[in-house]
Amino acid sequence: MSVSPILEVRNLQISFVEQNRNRLVLRGLSYSLEKGRVLAVVGESGSGKTVHALGLLSLLPAAARISGGEVRYKGQNLLACSAEQLRQIRGAKIAMIFQDPSASLNPVLTVGQQLIETLRAHESISKEEAARKAIELLDKVGIPNPEKRLDEYPFQFSGGMCQRVMIAMALALKPDILIADEPTTALDVTIQAQILRLMKDLQQEYGMAVIFITHNLALAAAIADDVLVLYGGLCMEQAPAEKLFTHPLHPYTQGLLGSLVSVSRKTEHLPAIPGNPPIAGEPLPGCPFAPRCSQATEKCSQKLPPLFAKGSCYVRCWLEEPHGSTH
Amino acid sequence: MLRYIIRRLLLLPLVMVGVTFLLFLLTQRLSPEMRASLYVRDARQMGALEEVISQYGLRDPVLKQYGRWMKNVIKGDLGYSPSANMPVAKAIKEYLPATIQLAVVTMLLVVFFGVWFGASSAVHKDKWQDTLVRLVSVGGFSLPIFVLGLLLLMVFYGKLGWFSPGGYSFQTDLIIHGVSFKTYTGFLLIDSLLNGQFRVFVDVLSHLVLPAVTLCIGSFALMVRVMRSSMLEELNKEYVRSARAKGLYERQVIYKHAGKNAIIPVITLASIQFIRLLGGTVIVETIFDYPGIGRFGVLAAQQLDIAGILGFSLMVAVLFVVGNLLSDILYTAVDPRIRLE
Ligand SMILES: Nc1ncnc2c1ncn2[C@@H]1O[C@H](COP(=O)(O)OP(=O)(O)OP(=O)(O)O)[C@@H](O)[C@H]1O
Ligand SMILES: [Mg+2]
Repeated sequence: MSVSPILEVRNLQISFVEQNRNRLVLRGLSYSLEKGRVLAVVGESGSGKTVHALGLLSLLPAAARISGGEVRYKGQNLLACSAEQLRQIRGAKIAMIFQDPSASLNPVLTVGQQLIETLRAHESISKEEAARKAIELLDKVGIPNPEKRLDEYPFQFSGGMCQRVMIAMALALKPDILIADEPTTALDVTIQAQILRLMKDLQQEYGMAVIFITHNLALAAAIADDVLVLYGGLCMEQAPAEKLFTHPLHPYTQGLLGSLVSVSRKTEHLPAIPGNPPIAGEPLPGCPFAPRCSQATEKCSQKLPPLFAKGSCYVRCWLEEPHGSTH
Repeated sequence: MLRYIIRRLLLLPLVMVGVTFLLFLLTQRLSPEMRASLYVRDARQMGALEEVISQYGLRDPVLKQYGRWMKNVIKGDLGYSPSANMPVAKAIKEYLPATIQLAVVTMLLVVFFGVWFGASSAVHKDKWQDTLVRLVSVGGFSLPIFVLGLLLLMVFYGKLGWFSPGGYSFQTDLIIHGVSFKTYTGFLLIDSLLNGQFRVFVDVLSHLVLPAVTLCIGSFALMVRVMRSSMLEELNKEYVRSARAKGLYERQVIYKHAGKNAIIPVITLASIQFIRLLGGTVIVETIFDYPGIGRFGVLAAQQLDIAGILGFSLMVAVLFVVGNLLSDILYTAVDPRIRLE
């Protein structure tokens, strides 16, 4: 029996308008997210991870256009919502945290003010009550001395502490979904582990669904139930985590995993995937990974493969084309 | 904070000495006879030049003369200004409040409209509101102040008769120099209210309108640009995106979040403009026959009134230091990251 998903993304396309020219950076992304599950979106820099996340909540910069698709939250298409409907969902039902926690907080407002305004934007509660809740939240995310810290400004917090504040803010209204865009990238390694631990604990406690964006497969392995591999604005492979890490189907995923394993074995030589990620804007007719793929055939550079279903996995590669297909 | 203020105030004498000593050196280029002649009105007394020179020690070494001037300044005596026909200290006390009044009203207009127009221009970037504001501000930039002043005078005084030049009307002059009018602050706008003379207040304010509007235009154009670009920059920052992601209302995002950050450069600009207005409203004061300190300074300079020039520069130096200090303090109120130490 399948549960109806809490978030469904269908053929989401996002482009940037540049000098009267449309540059498609997200070329039709589809997935569904079930309640309480953690989906990792993995990809190299520029693959469209952030753009996709911003698109979900219509937070894209002015130069970006959503050129197609749907984002359904509990059946409601967020891309067709009014501004006020969207506002009521942002922060309350779907919360988001970002890569650079120090830049994500307003430098001239106290941490308390920023927490309180979030609560009061969605609930009609008094300032005092909101302040009490804010203290509880700061305590919950492991900020010592929360009463005092409430009146401090972001510059008085370290990066890791700022990210804890961001998490507190995101959890303030017990959202159904948390979108975390590389939440630990800007932090040093020990702090990374603490933040990840915290997120995982809170995710389980609140039963939230999480979209965890990262370029680091090891982090994805640590937290995710499902993994979606993004490359050049396209989903290359989507699979349950245990399958993807043991039996990666796509050569790109295999390459990513190969470099990951070698790092953990501390080999001298780092077998990275040769070549560079595609320059967005010049979409190739074929598979965007073909130029870097050791197993590429003629067909790969001429025709873009569709996503083939293989059990519970999806893979965009001609090598995985089911036999007997009419293609 | 207090230590910072004290330290900055200790700097004050240094700036004062620096400015006035340089000017003093310049005045020594004039021969003692020329300097003495300023105090000799009557042609028949020209023979008394030597007397004046020796009486005031105008042939003494520079440092000695400067020391003597400084000693008097410390006692509160800035010398006699022949161009204003009164002691320099009295002239400043009489003319400075009128200029401060004008500068304050001007800056209130500049900051209020500059911030408002600049912010809405940024929020509606490339829409008609933005185009309109930019047109107005370019116009303000390119219009010379004396042309605008004369135009306003022609229209609102000459044609419509709504406003008149000068600092106040004849009736006001009678009231404020009458026995029952008490001077509390020297600022007519305040004193009139304290005396319960509301008509004087309105009269003084109406005489401020044309010069203030004229002074406004140039500063306003700059203010709009600074506010607009500062606001545009802030609106692109990450904290604005996360404020939206939290589900705040758009007006909270714009005014509370971006606005509070965007206003910071405005404070710098406003304090620079304010200080400049205090020493430099000469053209406007002349056009509108406004009894301010700028006119005193120009007259002193034209007539080589050395005591007047020195006193005027000393005043500007003091205002400069104090004004900067005030803007620093204002900063800490807006930007918590700044700690004065
Ligand atoms: N403001 C923008 N203007 C123009 N192009 C943009 C803008 N933001 C992103 N892009 C383009 O969109 C594509 C996807 O960018 P995105 O930021 O989503 O990548 P990412 O996967 O999040 O990378 P990273 O790991 O570096 O964060 C890139 O090609 C980038 O050049
Ligand atoms: Mg990113």
